Amino acid sequence: MKENRRKRRAALAAVIVALPIILFFVSLNVGSYPIPLRDVGKSLLSLVVPSFRSEVPPAVRDIILLIRLPRLLLAVAAGASLAVSGAALQALFKNPLVNEYILGLSSGSAFGAALSLVFLGRAFPPQAGAFLFAVVAVLAVLLMAGRLEASLVSLLLTGVIVSAFFSALLMLVEFLASPYALQSLFYWLMGNLSLAGWGDLALSLPLMAAGLALLFLLRWRLNVLSMNEEEARAMGVDVRREKWLVILAATLITAAATSVAGIIGWLGLIVPHLVRMAAGVDNRSVIPLSAALGASFLLAADAAARSLTSIEIPIGIFTSLIGIPVFLALLNKSKKVWL
Amino acid sequence: MSLRVENLVFTNRNFTLRVEKLEFESGRLAAIVGPNGAGKTTLLKCLAAIHPVSRRVIFRGRQDLAALHPAERARLISYVPQEHSPVFSYTVRDFVLTGRAAHLALFSLPSARDEAAAEEALEFVGLEPFAGRPYSQLSSGERRLVLIARALAQKAEVLLLDEPTTFLDPKHEWAVLELIRRLTDERKLTVLVTLHNLDMAVKYSDTLVFLKGGRVTAAGRPDDILTERLLRDVYDMPMKIVPCDGRKLIVR
Repeated sequence: MKENRRKRRAALAAVIVALPIILFFVSLNVGSYPIPLRDVGKSLLSLVVPSFRSEVPPAVRDIILLIRLPRLLLAVAAGASLAVSGAALQALFKNPLVNEYILGLSSGSAFGAALSLVFLGRAFPPQAGAFLFAVVAVLAVLLMAGRLEASLVSLLLTGVIVSAFFSALLMLVEFLASPYALQSLFYWLMGNLSLAGWGDLALSLPLMAAGLALLFLLRWRLNVLSMNEEEARAMGVDVRREKWLVILAATLITAAATSVAGIIGWLGLIVPHLVRMAAGVDNRSVIPLSAALGASFLLAADAAARSLTSIEIPIGIFTSLIGIPVFLALLNKSKKVWL
Repeated sequence: MSLRVENLVFTNRNFTLRVEKLEFESGRLAAIVGPNGAGKTTLLKCLAAIHPVSRRVIFRGRQDLAALHPAERARLISYVPQEHSPVFSYTVRDFVLTGRAAHLALFSLPSARDEAAAEEALEFVGLEPFAGRPYSQLSSGERRLVLIARALAQKAEVLLLDEPTTFLDPKHEWAVLELIRRLTDERKLTVLVTLHNLDMAVKYSDTLVFLKGGRVTAAGRPDDILTERLLRDVYDMPMKIVPCDGRKLIVR
């Protein structure tokens, strides 16, 4: 029976890993202008084999390569980042209900984006400001919570305080903003992948890749860090240093994802949770599977957002609307996963 | 190698632990006893480097343990906490495997050798049939054994156990103490264990250390130091020592 269970888990893991790859290619077809799979393939191939270039209309090729490809790459990277960041912080804080925005990151980056849109104008991309203040907010929380050994409760409380502070600043900026700037700000705040072009990805993709790689390498260590802190120390772990490393990597990828895609809620809470239910709590599998499922989740949500209605629904609204009922259902069903 | 404590002073809030000199030999089981708040757990946590300790206080032979890198130190000293309240339901196998952290570099995964060490530790405590079960579903007696197995997987020569028998029924208490005795005799570990049950402390230990108010009141072989007067001084209540079947029972 145990052997069966292990086989079932392995099969599930294989499905979770295959999912984003399939969804990626399906998503290239869908959108306000559906493109047949054959043309998608030819457009992609034309990147490597120039002779394919003449076989697809240039407009179709541009839609695939300049609009959909960067957008979907962002969906993959941001989905993976938010989910992995959530999983890592949950292990680190020994609490499955922690999310990737717990340390004040979302309100910090919202303020940064607002500041940039209002004072630097729409021509200047808000990503830089969003990224900068996301990091500032997390650092402020860590510094205010004092030593990194600070208990979870004091970190959470400081997170709430810093969030409240940046929310107040955000309102101040909104108050001063022109309606025109406000409109783009709201669009950003609701979470949106459509703003992504290759230019926006040039900086954020490598950042996300680096942070994800770091957390992937630390995946077994997260098991050790998820034990009681005193136990970890007695087991020879330099808890302070390794905590910093995990928080740094998680902040980096969340800030990079949020700065380009806006605030996308609930993903970092639900995805690791689903993974732990399906494949167990060992972070050696939770981290890679969260990356795969997070990417799938965002790809699917984005495909739905693009194709369900004639106007595009911001994806942040979508993930929350899907996420909240899913989470409620899980909460009812699965107390045994944690305890 | 023996473990030596010299002029240890550790202050936490308004409690101070002072130990002038204590020595623990390998292949010997030392029981640390005393009333609540005497500093038993604090002493263990100082030795386990959970509490920060200044240099030149804790020695292994001539080696200063505070000068070592955390992982190096953990390869010499392992610690079994009183209880572990699980948040995530790791399997017993994965749980014990975390004891290998001191042998693994930051970015590496446990190898087959680490898996084998964990497996062997589980076998020693007799819980290998439980390897695939979630830790959170075990009874408190089984949890104690898993905690000991995790410390054994660490492969250190010194084993510190904080009240490993509290909340256990007599049979599990006996099983845990027998196991600790076997570790001392067969693996020649230096074992320090804090206990509340004085009868068991007298029965199982080679060395008894009495603590009270952060000070060592007496230390030595149970036969040499155990008197009714000492017990009264340490616990502030009269106790009788009654010989029975060649053992000493302590009656209140």
